[in-house]
Amino acid sequence: MKKIPYIIALLALALLSSCHKLDVAPLNIIGDKDVFTSANGITSYLANLYGDMPMEDFFYEPQSGAGFLFQTGNGGRWQCFFQPGALDGELVGPFGGTGDAATGFGFWDYTDIRAINYFMQTLPQYASNFSQDQVNQWLGEAYFLRAYYYFALVKRYGGVPIVKAVTNYPEQSIADLQVPRNKEEDCYNFIGSDLDSAALLLPETNDRGRANKYVAYSYKSLAMLFAGSIAKYGALNYVAGDALDKGFVGIPSADASKFFQAAYDAASAVEGHYALYTKDYPDKVQNYVDLFLDQSSSETIFVRDYSIASGTAHSWDATMTCRYMTADGLSRCYPTLDLVERFAGPLNIVNPDGTPKRFADRADLMQGLEPRLLASVYFPGATLRGLTFDVQRGIYLTFNGSAIQEESNNNNTPNDVASNLMFAGSTQTTYNGMRIIGECGMYNSGDDLTRTGFYCRKYINYNAPQASCGLYQSTESYIDMRYAEVLLNRAEAAMELGNSADAIGDINQLRDRAGAPEVTSNCTIDTIRNERCKELAFEHQYWWDIRRWRIADQILDNTKFYACIPYYVWSEQKYIFLKQIEPYQRVYTFQKNWYYEPLPGGELQKDPNLFPNNPGY
Amino acid sequence: MKKILAIVAVLGLLYGCTKPDNYPGPDSAFSGNVIDSVTGQNLLTETGGFQIEMLEYSWSANPDPYYIPSKPDGSYEDTRIFSGHYGVFPTQGAFWPPADSILRDIKGNATQNFTVVPYLEVLNFTHVLSGDTLYMSFQISAPYKQGLPQIIDAWPFVNNTPFVGSGAMISNYTNSSEGNPSKNTIDINSNWDDSLLTKTYTMMVPGLLPGRTFYARVGVRVNDSYKKFNFSPVIEVDVPSK
Repeated sequence: MKKIPYIIALLALALLSSCHKLDVAPLNIIGDKDVFTSANGITSYLANLYGDMPMEDFFYEPQSGAGFLFQTGNGGRWQCFFQPGALDGELVGPFGGTGDAATGFGFWDYTDIRAINYFMQTLPQYASNFSQDQVNQWLGEAYFLRAYYYFALVKRYGGVPIVKAVTNYPEQSIADLQVPRNKEEDCYNFIGSDLDSAALLLPETNDRGRANKYVAYSYKSLAMLFAGSIAKYGALNYVAGDALDKGFVGIPSADASKFFQAAYDAASAVEGHYALYTKDYPDKVQNYVDLFLDQSSSETIFVRDYSIASGTAHSWDATMTCRYMTADGLSRCYPTLDLVERFAGPLNIVNPDGTPKRFADRADLMQGLEPRLLASVYFPGATLRGLTFDVQRGIYLTFNGSAIQEESNNNNTPNDVASNLMFAGSTQTTYNGMRIIGECGMYNSGDDLTRTGFYCRKYINYNAPQASCGLYQSTESYIDMRYAEVLLNRAEAAMELGNSADAIGDINQLRDRAGAPEVTSNCTIDTIRNERCKELAFEHQYWWDIRRWRIADQILDNTKFYACIPYYVWSEQKYIFLKQIEPYQRVYTFQKNWYYEPLPGGELQKDPNLFPNNPGY
Repeated sequence: MKKILAIVAVLGLLYGCTKPDNYPGPDSAFSGNVIDSVTGQNLLTETGGFQIEMLEYSWSANPDPYYIPSKPDGSYEDTRIFSGHYGVFPTQGAFWPPADSILRDIKGNATQNFTVVPYLEVLNFTHVLSGDTLYMSFQISAPYKQGLPQIIDAWPFVNNTPFVGSGAMISNYTNSSEGNPSKNTIDINSNWDDSLLTKTYTMMVPGLLPGRTFYARVGVRVNDSYKKFNFSPVIEVDVPSK
């Protein structure tokens, strides 16, 4: 019996030392052949890249030094109010000033770009397993994704290194890997040609959330419009420096029309394949509200979806209206009166003699306003989930005199003495049985109730019961590209090319859907820009628009924004609305060097060929 | 036994690697004045009204720039600078950018003055207080007229400390005030034209609080890369009690 161990040892020796080579592929590591030999494998590879897309969706928070900015999913960012609209005057929000986010957060996603390059390089080796159509579609998606990632870089930094092949370390030396910057113009040409390749290869339709031919054209119209604007307006308004002299930022103005033409052509190619949402006609308010909520909208071109089951749900409902309407969370950004006035001019709140108009019901303020405006912004007196936005900042026992004397919001007119004007620090404080401030605000301090009298309505899911409006419980899809934007791109490009008839036609399609009067003549580039601001309000676009138009330093120049503030006048039992500077009196200023973000310091350290940094840094 | 081994191991980890960092710390200082070529005096500016850009070439041909912001009196000073070989020049201010940077070593207490040509000079600056309204009058001139960027506007600045400028002001007195919600600034929006020399601008700041002391000045800016202001001197204004 003592021999048994020896026998076992000998057997083991015989078995183990026989001719098995240990150099076998490990089973727990997924290699190319596992991914690239099945349609499922390839689809998941691409799904990863779609999921990582630097999309400025509900989760996006541009803030210097804030870390991961394109976070998605439960546990990511819940604070939807930290959004670019709160930097550019659409909203007043939690940012202390424009500078909080203007210098960026070091976005530099060459990791995913490498993964795309790897995909493009590897897929052809496995192409024989699939039909030509399949291979074309996947390659097309890869081209689309690469353009999307590069556009996210170029709109921030200007020229960046164009890397279109897989690089390897240590096979390549450090010196080889320290790639130089390309010119901004070359980057836009590269993005344009990638989107052309994508459009050529992609099918007419694809699964929801994935690119098709017209998705590629839509984004091409946007990217080319950026390039054209930078060529035209960047030549007039710039910060001097080495990077400008060498073309790393800035595009020769002579090339503006080339890019505008490319934008126009790409936008025109989408015509007939998507259509403005009109399902709920004739109710144009309801129609515009549902456009952002209807999963089957004919207008939606490219979306990102969310679900509670997959842990990707967001917090738009919980953080864009006040806690009174929701189950959890708080709000901190509010549409400005300046934005509201873009739609309709000054609101009808002042009598011809200069005194504030008296209202029996706050909701009367909404009478006769553009449906698109009412669908984008919750006015005082509007309702949501059976609750009314009872916005009221305080009670005047009596109110005498003009509206304009209150405009500076310094509370130092004879009306504003403490014995006549009641404020409260809590929504529960009453005066003779009446709440001094509404459940929906406003406070004089604290910003989790409105600072402007308004709340954001776009994307708010009015169908969701209040109990399910908590953090990470919203599943509205984020529409990154919709046909209205393509029309705006087309109109702007057409206008820049001198084709105002086409531009007016495009704008009037939007105006008609919005319930706004049509443009007949007198259409200028400002008409088009204003339309864009209105149509795409709160959709994280205007920030980039005022940058590419190079007007940010003029419109954000020690600028304060206005609120439309309801007060109750006790002696008259009526409401008045005062146009006043929003109570925080925040000042927004845009420095010219912010037209480009600085290249991330860490990247400059690794790659000295990225120098010179952008002007002014 | 195990305990002893563990202790030895921990001690080994703690003491294993005590290389002192033998590079010198930032033990030099760099200071000086930025001088207005027209007046020969320090440039009229504000805190951060310009920056001294420093490029340390001791280690790299492409160093990250380091900036020293201006003091309100037109001087600058930083007492924690690494000794080394630098290129230095004033930038991001309301003056014509210097053609070249000055290359020099910095060690110990180094000083360097720079002379710059301001875009604009504020001349004949006078003020009157009438009730609670401050009127400030001035003219402008341009030392170099050729290629001067467009003149944008002139702003009044009012503060309750002598530190007054675009970064330190009571913004209501610049942008709006009681009964006058429009800006108190004056839009100029013009390229240089010699007729501007004879023009007198008068700026009104109404609604100053009675019984307070304010400090005020005006600034004019051009549409260059940085849009900084060329200032008047600071005046002190005592608003009488009502």
